[in-house]
Amino acid sequence: MLKEIWDNLKGLYSLGVGMAITGRYLLSPVETIHYPRQVVADEIMESFRGPIQLTFGPKDPAQSRCISCQMCVKACPGHCLTVTKGETKSPVVWLYDFSYCCLCGACVETCPASALEFSHKVYLVAKSRAELSMDLLADLKSRALKKAESVKSELPGSAPTTQNLAAPGPKDSPVKAEATKTPLANSDPEPKAPTEARPPKKAAKADPLPSDATIESRPKNGSDQ
Amino acid sequence: MTFGSLNFVNPFGVWENPGSTAGDFYAVNFEKKAVSGRVILNLGPQHPSTHGVLRVLVELDGEYVARAEPVLGYLHRMHEKMGEVKTPWQFIPNMGRVDYLHPLAWNWAFVGAAEKLAGLTVPERAEYLRVIGCELNRIGSHLLWWGAFVMDLGGFTPILYAFEEREKINDILQIITGSRLTMANFRFGGVCADADERFFRLCAEFIPYLRERLKMYKGLVTDNVILRRRLEGIGPIDVDLCQRYGATGPILRAAGLARDTRKDYPYGVYPKLDFPIPTGPINDSFGRYLVRLAEIETSLSIIEQAIKDIPQGPIIMDKAPKATWKLPAGESYFTVEGARGQIAAHITSDGGKNPYRVKLRAPGFSNLSLFAEAAKGTLLADAIAILGSLDLVIPEIDR
Amino acid sequence: MFLSLAIVAQIIVAVLLIIALMVGNAVVMVYMERKVAGFIQRRPGPYEVGPYGTLQAICDSMKLLAKQLYRPGNVDLILYYLAPILAFFPVLLLYLPIPFGPYLTALPVGDGVILILAFAGLGVLSNLLAGWSSNNKYSLLGAARAVSQTVAYEIPMILALLAVVFLSGSTDLKVVTDQQGPWPWQWNIVLQPLAFFIYLVSLVGETNRAPFDLPEAESELAAGFHTEYSGMGFALFFLSEYANMLLVSFVAAVFFLGGYKGPIADGFWWIFIKAYALMFFMVWIRWTFPRVRFDQLLNINWKWLLPLGLFNLWLTAAVIKVAF
Repeated sequence: MLKEIWDNLKGLYSLGVGMAITGRYLLSPVETIHYPRQVVADEIMESFRGPIQLTFGPKDPAQSRCISCQMCVKACPGHCLTVTKGETKSPVVWLYDFSYCCLCGACVETCPASALEFSHKVYLVAKSRAELSMDLLADLKSRALKKAESVKSELPGSAPTTQNLAAPGPKDSPVKAEATKTPLANSDPEPKAPTEARPPKKAAKADPLPSDATIESRPKNGSDQ
Repeated sequence: MTFGSLNFVNPFGVWENPGSTAGDFYAVNFEKKAVSGRVILNLGPQHPSTHGVLRVLVELDGEYVARAEPVLGYLHRMHEKMGEVKTPWQFIPNMGRVDYLHPLAWNWAFVGAAEKLAGLTVPERAEYLRVIGCELNRIGSHLLWWGAFVMDLGGFTPILYAFEEREKINDILQIITGSRLTMANFRFGGVCADADERFFRLCAEFIPYLRERLKMYKGLVTDNVILRRRLEGIGPIDVDLCQRYGATGPILRAAGLARDTRKDYPYGVYPKLDFPIPTGPINDSFGRYLVRLAEIETSLSIIEQAIKDIPQGPIIMDKAPKATWKLPAGESYFTVEGARGQIAAHITSDGGKNPYRVKLRAPGFSNLSLFAEAAKGTLLADAIAILGSLDLVIPEIDR
Repeated sequence: MFLSLAIVAQIIVAVLLIIALMVGNAVVMVYMERKVAGFIQRRPGPYEVGPYGTLQAICDSMKLLAKQLYRPGNVDLILYYLAPILAFFPVLLLYLPIPFGPYLTALPVGDGVILILAFAGLGVLSNLLAGWSSNNKYSLLGAARAVSQTVAYEIPMILALLAVVFLSGSTDLKVVTDQQGPWPWQWNIVLQPLAFFIYLVSLVGETNRAPFDLPEAESELAAGFHTEYSGMGFALFFLSEYANMLLVSFVAAVFFLGGYKGPIADGFWWIFIKAYALMFFMVWIRWTFPRVRFDQLLNINWKWLLPLGLFNLWLTAAVIKVAF
């Protein structure tokens, strides 16, 4: 009987200890990053696998390195890439359906020309499935243009990226960076696929639902070819 | 689809004929042995505490569970079929999605089976990186289990504290895998990305930080009298029950048998690392709870040793298999220790482009099978506590 | 029974003010609960709607008002719609005898505590009707649990309050308040700490708050007895739960913490501060502890609180007899 009473008193003490712990956290600052007032620093996002993008060309940044060898198309588990060769080795159509991508990196690693890389678009949003079908050639051109503009204007703070921390401190995360004027700087400003770059048979891609034209372009039975 | 001699029962019959006991195939079968005076309750696929889409049919005698039967298949995504239509390289991301809480162990099972079949050797640095990644992932999985388990019991705060630690772990793992949840950085012959100085610094800072936080967990949850009274004496699972159903992992270790695939069938660089196997003398839910918390500490010590001992070198073998690699003919079976038990992949290949058959052994499937026997005669709240202490992740059970 | 016009007018005005208080309380409590939960869990809580999220509760109530009143097909119509109404209105009655200020009692009856304790049991009926009429096994289980829990936890509550009544010599709430002084060491909690503890535990059990919130245990029963209610029905249950919490906090403030008396100036602000401090304590407890199992809950009541309450009562009576 006395043992029971003593056990219960010890139990009540443990309840008090628990409340002290939560009370301490109640009065301490929050741990979360308050998006969009704060964003995660670039240093953490450097290794993040976002949707893939074409790398800048060695001579002309707007010209991709792709040689239309179709190795990435065959390697992709989700069959989300469509590359059409032009008269030269460079592709004329480079379509990437992000809604099928599993971010495995097969295409990036398989490409013999190092033409693909992961972007770090953490804040990508799309309001319809069609917006996730990305035209990577147009995306490459717009990124090359932005890079040229930022290099041209030598003013500080003109690059629309979030602040980098000068040196990583001992407490590396939560790494919060105050958002500059463009809080969604990491997202690509053009998630939509422009309609003029597509050949006529794929015009149905603007539908929100995947039409038969999209499905026909994928290999049957999911098997590789 | 026919069920043999069973008539197809209209699943909407209960709305059209109030008072009828029409239900689906499983409910009708379950009700055949019903005893009058008992309530048949369907802890349905949509339920806050079944950790995924698990359906459990229980027959309640007041509040006591007289019979319980889990029904699976609501999350079957045909991973094994995908193994037959995808090339081995294309199947690796699948293994990240089977159990998204310990994806690196599933990666290792499949990649290890393929490497065993083809006779590939992995460079040492890659082996160490695999071990560090797998153990960090195991800590993350146990932390999430801890938070979700306490949430099942009614405490809504510890899961958010656990997620703070998981965010740090995910930051570290993002450096080598690029993802935070469904990781797929294993390649045939090594890993895909190297770890830089920042990775090792973050790991070295994380270990003492987590040790401090584990003390806070002890004060907030483990010593809490309400939690103890909920878990002590609930759902004792002894070794015999485990062996009859093939349960492995913390359940078996808490029952008293020290079986750990890292020691019994060593793989990677585990033979070089020195770590204990936490075996609980207590085999009820609280014992399983303590064993998992002790495993977090074990994983921390493994990571400490691995960070110290990791050599420089390549992270993937020379002439590593490319995306069009075909497995040689034959079969191989490779087993690793996952957070939930023994994970295994059994690949049968006939030399073609795709494997002939990929069989995945999910530990959760065997662990769940003993729930029906372990929950018999307990209160409903206790049955939920036992279900939580089994650490089930339904996607891995249904694959 | 002679009711003068003044008293009738006073009661009508008081009822309207109390309804406003209950609604305002729900707004404040929803915000406080979510913010405190957020800060305990190291996240901001509501932030976007209004400055620092203060308008969140108002938007939530507008959403609940505008929601479709969906009911399942086979419910018992009268009972189904009666249950939330029955949850809400009796609580109004319980606010009448509480002395909010020296001259601010809605219904100055001589046996206020008996009125409160008697009508507190009506909340049980609403839980039971909700669970039974929902035609849902989960709701039925939740209702069964709610009934045994609420009925069980009323008894230690009565015993704890009775000890204070012994001390004060009257069941009139105003007399109980006047017997205490303005400073904390003159409150009844100093003379009756065990009764305060018993009352605190039974307070949490009576209002179905965590760690005793089995009737609405989300992880087991997916919202228990109010599973099948949406929109206004759910809003009424919600409102009545917070109003119940506030009521028992007011009673605790009156009996143990000095009521409207305070160090500097007596007035209604003190009773509000004390009641909301107790509510904050209840919110804090909710987000810290896991849930107690049902048989353990009843064990705590029948094996610990009831004997302790009786012992406390006996001790109080003995001390009063001997000392006075």
